[in-house]
Amino acid sequence: MNGNKHMTTPLLEIEDLSAGVDGKEIIKDFNLTINPGEVHALMGPNGAGKSTLSNILCGKPGYHVTSGRIWFKGKDLLKLSPEERACEGIFLVMQYPVEIPGVPVTSFLKHSVNAIRKYRGEPELDTMEFIKMVRDEGKKFNLDAEMIKRAVNVGFSGGEKKRLEALQMAVLKPDFAILDEADSGLDIDALKIVADGVNALRDGNRAMLIITHFQRLLEHVVPDFVHIYADGRIVKTGGRELAAELEQTGYAGFMKESR
Amino acid sequence: MNTELPDIKLIGDELPWLKEYRAAGRREFAGQGIPTAKTEAWKYTKPNRFLSMDFIFNPRGGDKLAIPEVNLPFVAYKIYFENGVFISCDDDLPDNIEVLPLIEALMFRPELKNKTGSLADITKYPFAALNAAYLNEGVYIHVKAGVRPDKPIALINHVTAAVRPELYNLHHIVEIDKGASVELVEYYGYTGAPKSSYLVNVVNEIYVAANAALRHYKLQDEAFKAGHLALNAVNVAANGLYKSFCLQKGADLSRNETQVCLAEEGATAEVDAAYIMNGWATLDTTTDIEHLVPHTNSSQLVKGVIGGQAKGVFQGKIRIASNAVKTEGCQLHKAMLLSDEAEIDVKPELEIFADDVKCSHGAACGRLDADQLFYLRSRGIPEAEAKQILIDAYLNDVMAKVDDENIRSWIKLSQGNPLPA
Ligand SMILES: Nc1ncnc2c1ncn2[C@@H]1O[C@H](COP(=O)(O)OP(=O)(O)O)[C@@H](O)[C@H]1O
Ligand SMILES: [Mg+2]
Repeated sequence: MNGNKHMTTPLLEIEDLSAGVDGKEIIKDFNLTINPGEVHALMGPNGAGKSTLSNILCGKPGYHVTSGRIWFKGKDLLKLSPEERACEGIFLVMQYPVEIPGVPVTSFLKHSVNAIRKYRGEPELDTMEFIKMVRDEGKKFNLDAEMIKRAVNVGFSGGEKKRLEALQMAVLKPDFAILDEADSGLDIDALKIVADGVNALRDGNRAMLIITHFQRLLEHVVPDFVHIYADGRIVKTGGRELAAELEQTGYAGFMKESR
Repeated sequence: MNTELPDIKLIGDELPWLKEYRAAGRREFAGQGIPTAKTEAWKYTKPNRFLSMDFIFNPRGGDKLAIPEVNLPFVAYKIYFENGVFISCDDDLPDNIEVLPLIEALMFRPELKNKTGSLADITKYPFAALNAAYLNEGVYIHVKAGVRPDKPIALINHVTAAVRPELYNLHHIVEIDKGASVELVEYYGYTGAPKSSYLVNVVNEIYVAANAALRHYKLQDEAFKAGHLALNAVNVAANGLYKSFCLQKGADLSRNETQVCLAEEGATAEVDAAYIMNGWATLDTTTDIEHLVPHTNSSQLVKGVIGGQAKGVFQGKIRIASNAVKTEGCQLHKAMLLSDEAEIDVKPELEIFADDVKCSHGAACGRLDADQLFYLRSRGIPEAEAKQILIDAYLNDVMAKVDDENIRSWIKLSQGNPLPA
């Protein structure tokens, strides 16, 4: 896909990563390289460790890394705090977005945008401008002004939560977005809205890791690479056709292949 | 602190009853002594450690002191105290609000004799006894019938670094006449070396007449080595309202105690509070709401955030007399602990002698939610800021109890960060 790949520095390089949670080894000798502009899909059965990988990439406390390195824009990612990673341009669309009573979406997003701007040495946004921008973006995700005044995710349906995640991604414009089952719990219209939001961010520089176990979202957001992830490691890599193949055969076949 | 207090000559001693009241204060304080862990009402707060220091009472009437530079971000009729001494009162007070230095009021208004010590019981409360022994500083505030002032009345208490531990003893008598509606703000702050120790001992006796309303807001932001002991003793008449909110965030040892007597039908008390602290402080919120007659209502929401090795204490009493049917009393205390060493002691007490009442109490204790914290950080918000956002959100509902928007935002802004830097 990317003709001059060998000439660019990878955006993200995961080298021989072994990691887990609660003393349990979940990720085993995992390797993955993602270059600017690329969209990768990671497909795997429930419990394979997909969310574990996303959380480790974002620095969620409670996980342990036993070996391996992760480089992001040439920086040692594991040395950065979650907020530093976000400021460096990583964004996670969470599988289970968290409810935060008492914190309105707009004020939360303003803290977020300004924290990232501050990190990058940019001036804070004017409040009026900011609110207008969030409202305009909100419309694209079918989240009206009333919704974005409410507390983060409180009383949101499953689909609304995912659309709010996508709205945040659109506002923060990350260099690297991880979508952890962004498609689960979405009806077809909402899936389309989220996919449009993702596609709008594809500009040849931003990269994405789309985690899913269905082909559904990949029909709307066409990946450059598809990886099949099972038992803690990537067992097969291919192009977009691999997703279709998987839908036919299921994971069982691939897992045998890997032994 | 020595409980055998010297008989210091004070202005007003020429009134026999006042001289005797001060003497009774000395006798009671010596008799009751400083509460210890064995004193039921003080068993969690244990003021004896803090009060092992001797605090010197030094009356300084007549000193010419400048008005302290305290900028409150709202307009008010301001009454200033510096190091426990009355300095001045804004001169734009309308005729229907009276503010007089307390002793002056007691000397010229014989009827105030019956309002002195009638709500704050010196035989039960040792620091009210101490307060009586040194009754000298304070004001009498009188809001006449039907008056609704255009701005709050603010008692501004400012301390500059003391050279030796001093006692600042204050007593205010507040009378809100029929149908009046007033906001009263109490602010306690300091400038200078925050290490200076001092003890503020304040007693407020508050009379809310029929159909009157008092909204009483307090911000306790004393120096971190200070002690602050406050007793708010309140009587509410028919269809009257006493609504208070107190944020405690300063001092090493502090108690804000509120005793409300709902004396006539239709009287209501809403006693809400918050406390935020770290370090080694002990901050105590104690309430005692007495429903004496039918059709009286009370509600309390108290929330605290405790970090470091600090200790929060909440003691909430609701008493319903045997004839006080059709009353409602509810009480809720919630605390968030930010560290493993932080401590919280909660003692709710319901004494219900009547049938046909609605009464409830509840308590909850939690920690910062790790998933919420990660969510905010994963969006680029630094950890300390993310914690502050969650703490602010936690306190949101109790802060919303402050009806006055300007005062609410002042309290919120003063709330500060209970997290170690
Ligand atoms: N906090 C945790 N403590 C213990 N086990 C966990 C924890 N989180 C995940 N796991 C386990 O790790 C494995 C991988 O989980 P996860 O990464 O959520 O998988 P996936 O996202 O691929 O469905 C599962 O077996 C799950 O039960
Ligand atoms: Mg998952």
